Amino acid sequence: MVNRMDQGSDAVKRTETARRIADELAECGVKLVASLPDNWISGLITHLEGDTRFTHVPVNREESAIGLCAGAYMGGLGSAALMGASGFMTCIYAITKINYSYEVPLLLVMTLRGSFGDHHKHHISNGLYLQPVLQAIDMPYIIVSRPDELGAIGRAYRHSRTFARPSAVLLARELLR
Amino acid sequence: MKYVDCFKFLAGRRTEELVITSAGNSGQAWWTATRDSERSFYLDASMSLSTMFASGLAVALPKKRVWAFMGDGAFCMNPGMLMVERQMNLSNLTHFLVSNRAYGATSNARLPNSTSNDYAAIARGCGLTRIHAFTSLAELERGFEAAVPKTASGHTMVVLEVEPFSDEEQKLEQPPFDGPEMKYRFARALERETGASIIGYRL
Repeated sequence: MVNRMDQGSDAVKRTETARRIADELAECGVKLVASLPDNWISGLITHLEGDTRFTHVPVNREESAIGLCAGAYMGGLGSAALMGASGFMTCIYAITKINYSYEVPLLLVMTLRGSFGDHHKHHISNGLYLQPVLQAIDMPYIIVSRPDELGAIGRAYRHSRTFARPSAVLLARELLR
Repeated sequence: MKYVDCFKFLAGRRTEELVITSAGNSGQAWWTATRDSERSFYLDASMSLSTMFASGLAVALPKKRVWAFMGDGAFCMNPGMLMVERQMNLSNLTHFLVSNRAYGATSNARLPNSTSNDYAAIARGCGLTRIHAFTSLAELERGFEAAVPKTASGHTMVVLEVEPFSDEEQKLEQPPFDGPEMKYRFARALERETGASIIGYRL
């Protein structure tokens, strides 16, 4: 049985993690965040919605976030696309067509679904194929499991701009739950 | 109305707007009408993302007016885009839905439910209010100014009912740019014009 004190401390941890992720995004110049939820990042999305440093756009599907962020880049506005692993898997065409063909940078922040500790059986597909798909399209990515690793967000953002390609940060369950 | 005639009219009424085209025919028609290679971004084969791309651009550059063309083939792949557009309600964005009732970029292949789709009604259903629809060039000439004013109170959508490309029109030249050249031409022109830092370094 999970006691209320544990639940309270988990909530505090999630709030603190969301705040630190927001700080990292703001620090590297992100002003527009386009998102579609995954349960692991629903608190983060709520936090970003209320954070005046960002324009937060909830989108109808993850591909729309790819289009929005590409357009924002072409106008000189820093942006990030935030989504679950499943959503990312629907975006391969949009990313390779827009970001790869036109060499448009993109910071993708997504959940590392299907990894050890994920309680949801239906994420087996992400456990099996998320990282192989990232590797198949040669997208650089980094897994963040602890708060002290969150500086990877800024590094991924800058890497994306330097090489004019997308970079991804995968947020692990240990960090988010 | 004839697709290319419609685009030539729009090109004639364009002043300072940045233009994003969708896959296939709209890029060909706009290139035919304008030969513009700096203030137009030909987002080829984007499969429904031209207005999302334009929305990002319009957020980034609120003082710029942005036109986005989208064929109804692309629109049918992602009509939920209108929910995002309504929510953002960008007054500097006009979404031109170019309805030829076919997948124009793939030799006018059949579009699902093509004769019954009511795009303006779909837009109303998403809460959009500034919606205009034109079925002839004469109507467009009469109504353009009211439909696409220089200053709008919110997001604008314009449905253009056009004839599919003929076999000859399908041979119109595609905008002759590789992706990176398109990016740099558009970005460098915007940097010169607005002072924005887009690429991240200056020549």
